[in-house]
Amino acid sequence: MLKATLRSFLAHKGRLLLSALAVILSVAFVAGSLIFSDTVTRTFDRLFASTSADVTVGPKDDDLDSQIPSGAIETVPTSLVDRIATVDGVARTRADVSVENVTVVDSDNESVGPTTGAPTIAGDWYVTERSPVELTSGHAPRGPGQALLDADTADKKHVDIGDTLTVIAQPGSFKVEVVGIATFKTTNPGAALVFLDPAVAETKLLGKEGVATSIQVDADQGVSDAQLKQRIATELGPGTYELETADEQAETAAAQLGGFLDVIKYVMLGFAGIAVLVGVFLIVNTFSMLIAQRTRELGLLRALGADRRQVRRSVLTEATLLGLVGSTLGLAAGIGLAIGLIELMGLLGMNLKTAEMVIGWPTPVSAYVVGVGVTFVAAYLPARRAAGVSPMAALVDAEIAGVGRPLRVRAVVGLIVGALGAAALVGCVTATETGSAASLLGLGVVLTLIATVIAGPLLVRPVIRVLGGAFPALFGSIGRMSQRNALRNPRRTGATAAALMVGLALVGGMSVASASMTKSFDEQIDKTLGADFVVQNSNFLPFPQEITEKVEATDGAGLVVRQRFTPVAVRLPDGKRVETTAAGYQPQLDEVARITYAQGNTAAALADGNIAMDATFAKDHDVRVGSTIPVEFPAGQRTELTVAALTDQDAAEGFGTQGGLFFGFGTIEKYVPGGQDSALYVNASSGTSADTLRSNLDKTLDPYPQVQVRDLADYKKLIHDQIAVLLYLVYALLGLAIVIAVLGVVNTLALSVVERTREIGLLRAIGLARRQLRRMIRLESVVIAVFGAVLGLALGLVWGVCVQQVLALQGMKALAIPWTTLVAVVVGSAVVGIVAALLPALRASRMNVLAAIAHE
Amino acid sequence: MSTAAAEQALGRTDAEGIAARARGLTKAYGSGETTVLALDSVDVDIARGRFTAVMGPSGSGKSTLMHCLAGLDTVSAGQVWLGDTEITGLKERELTQLRRDRIGFMFQSFNLIPTLNAAENITLPMDIAGQKPDEKWLNQVIDNLGLRDRLGHRPAQLSGGQQQRVACARALASRPELIFADEPTGNLDSRAGLEVLGFLRDAVDELGQTVVMVTHDPGAAAHADLVLFLGDGRIVDEMARPTAEAVLERMKRFDTIRGTFDGDAAPDQGIAPDQD
Repeated sequence: MLKATLRSFLAHKGRLLLSALAVILSVAFVAGSLIFSDTVTRTFDRLFASTSADVTVGPKDDDLDSQIPSGAIETVPTSLVDRIATVDGVARTRADVSVENVTVVDSDNESVGPTTGAPTIAGDWYVTERSPVELTSGHAPRGPGQALLDADTADKKHVDIGDTLTVIAQPGSFKVEVVGIATFKTTNPGAALVFLDPAVAETKLLGKEGVATSIQVDADQGVSDAQLKQRIATELGPGTYELETADEQAETAAAQLGGFLDVIKYVMLGFAGIAVLVGVFLIVNTFSMLIAQRTRELGLLRALGADRRQVRRSVLTEATLLGLVGSTLGLAAGIGLAIGLIELMGLLGMNLKTAEMVIGWPTPVSAYVVGVGVTFVAAYLPARRAAGVSPMAALVDAEIAGVGRPLRVRAVVGLIVGALGAAALVGCVTATETGSAASLLGLGVVLTLIATVIAGPLLVRPVIRVLGGAFPALFGSIGRMSQRNALRNPRRTGATAAALMVGLALVGGMSVASASMTKSFDEQIDKTLGADFVVQNSNFLPFPQEITEKVEATDGAGLVVRQRFTPVAVRLPDGKRVETTAAGYQPQLDEVARITYAQGNTAAALADGNIAMDATFAKDHDVRVGSTIPVEFPAGQRTELTVAALTDQDAAEGFGTQGGLFFGFGTIEKYVPGGQDSALYVNASSGTSADTLRSNLDKTLDPYPQVQVRDLADYKKLIHDQIAVLLYLVYALLGLAIVIAVLGVVNTLALSVVERTREIGLLRAIGLARRQLRRMIRLESVVIAVFGAVLGLALGLVWGVCVQQVLALQGMKALAIPWTTLVAVVVGSAVVGIVAALLPALRASRMNVLAAIAHE
Repeated sequence: MSTAAAEQALGRTDAEGIAARARGLTKAYGSGETTVLALDSVDVDIARGRFTAVMGPSGSGKSTLMHCLAGLDTVSAGQVWLGDTEITGLKERELTQLRRDRIGFMFQSFNLIPTLNAAENITLPMDIAGQKPDEKWLNQVIDNLGLRDRLGHRPAQLSGGQQQRVACARALASRPELIFADEPTGNLDSRAGLEVLGFLRDAVDELGQTVVMVTHDPGAAAHADLVLFLGDGRIVDEMARPTAEAVLERMKRFDTIRGTFDGDAAPDQGIAPDQD
């Protein structure tokens, strides 16, 4: 039996190839992402472990993580150096200055920092054996006007020794001459580094003397890091500073970097998931078709005495073989993918070494589990069907199995699952709380997807009748035959189209959701933004005070309203602690923004000791006007604020600002000292035109490339671009889904062509030209692809509307359906159909007419 | 048809009224020592407006002859004409058009496209060509074959005999110069077979069509005006106004000449359907 299985496997290798491709793709993405993240993690663990001091004493961690920082730099007093030096077992102690939010510009006012979002880090030049860099040319910086630059940045931005740079730091900008180049001894994580004389680093970067960003401590020989940490903690007292050993420091640093790497990892896993999901359809379809073709052969096996289990096992063995081959090739492809990613990171400035690639044991294990598992599971149903072939099948000239089987079970199951899914979606639309709505949405999406896949074959007839309805009129009998061929085996057509459907449903849903988000933000911006211009960083990061002063002093600038953000945690009356980001505004807010209040007004909201929040958020957490709520600020600052106003705005809670909290500028200055402005709303003074102000502001801000001037339209575009990033990711996913779906269509058509050999021979004999035959197959392919697209987009449209309803709970009330995108997708799917038909059509047209007629 | 010259040039007929013609038609398979001659320099004329049957044992080259005459197969040597058109040397595309516009086909089985109904199958060659069928002629054919109430049926809903009638109607529908029928009764019971043969006969007698039928059923061959006998790739004999008995008798002589028949083509099995 095994021999027969192997023979059959090898005999069908051409056909299994396409299934194998699906397995290879999914395994490659799984393996590639694992290898890449392992390699990166190992590299950075090593980097951080080798460059961290034995114990690092830093400011107390306030547990307030936020995407939008306040801009304040938390410090420790340098006086700690002397205190720690007295601790038993301390070999060396020093105060370290290292700040991330600086901008360094060259003489053309162009930033020399990385364009990838990696930070520019300025610090003091202090060489130990643990420094990640060493001086390779020039000399160490001496005095306030000198600096070192890292070699990679110098190289990329063409900076040489003797060039002048401007460092824009929180206390103010200053000019430095590059006097030396420092080269990375370890992996360069992609950041730009600027080093100053330690004697001037504190004042230049931190703005005051006697403070540092951390204290670095090295242990005497024989004293472990953990012991030393314990001793220093005892000396300094509990809860005042954050102490980390080298290992812990490496972990924290890796975790900070991890955010970025996690994104890559999840994107890769997303690709793997799509590949697996779509691949399953392909494999199920291939095996079903192989079995249908081999009905007689299987019947013969049964007639010769093979029992059902043996037949089933034979098919499953074949699947396992396919899985093993696919996984092995996929693993190899995954290594290639990881190398590609590492090279790509190199282009982005993160110099990983392919030689140090890490392939841990979980990588091959997951590769084979995914590859073999998916194939086995996908082949299980076809295998059961194979086992059900009766011995009689060998004797009768059986029609292709499965064609005539009624679809009643599918109809019933599809209807039930579909009804449940629809109920979940209706529940999601009518839900009033975001949490439950989101989970209902997830459930509804999964159930409706399953239902559509199950019921797909039932929809083939009605939908394709309509889609291909014009074919006979347009293409005559060729059109008629291609339309009917697509209807011939609804199961097969349904399964083939399902692969395309899944991908396009996701795209449909996401494009509706993102178009709705964009429209909501647009409406929101139109409604609320009253300022002529907004000055801010394109990443919403804060900028130094100096910029604010320059803007205020700009000719023609009338009113300037400053905005600051800070991470906060609020304890609400319902007992919940919510970590979010709050904003502080100057009192003339009404001049630059139109805020709708449910209760209270701007004056009340911004008064000392007061806070305002979104009315819906307040209602959800039992907050009323007059409630007093405890607020935690960074660096352990706490206070209580009185709720004085509730806002009633659409999209009050965008981008991590849950609750829409805001208060007066005085409050944020008081509790977050040293914070930086994150936006300036600027109105032209009377008598100055907006155009004049704009050109004046552009001139003012020329030396500060990190901030830009935006009017209403620019501001909208900024938001659009942010949302577009999400869309690009989705489109990339779609691309992969389409590739696999094309494989599926190719597979189905190739098998159909083989099955219809005699029919094709007959058609050719009675005068169908090759060109016409190719067109017939192309049209069939197009109708299948468009069927999948229409089904997918219809499903995606429903999902998108439901997603929008969930977003509406967050204030994003506008619904936009991107019709052009949807139409483009349908047209694109027709192109996909044409592409998929290329090879099968060529094969059909090359068939020898006589051989085809005689074919059995 | 000149029977006088039959002994010298079997299968040849007068120049006028010739639907198809082959000269020195040779078809070889393989090369070198293993070359097999399926047709060995065959000269044949198919008379216009006649019903010609081609008979011979399995492997005699009768199907190959038909395929070459119909432009389905390429020839190794020699020339073939359909009417005045020399089809040897035509390009693939021209051959396809020629088959579509000037030749009608009936095969033993799998004659119809399963996704099309009877009416659509009948007009298929004209639809492919983008031509409008001659409605009057079409109606006459449909009525002659008794298919009027079957036009909307798919092949799966028709009996074997009805399917062959539809195939016959398709072959006639475009009023081709020549109809080739390859074992048209091979898969039918005798009653349905007789019916189909009757229709082919009528096509010649009443509609003035030219029919060439490959068969190894002497009973079927008896419906023809002329039977050409093929053996070992040559036309070895011909018989005008044949009867089933005479044909059977003639086929038995293959037996005596060659000693034995190969395969299932023995004359005593002549009525049985052939898988060839």
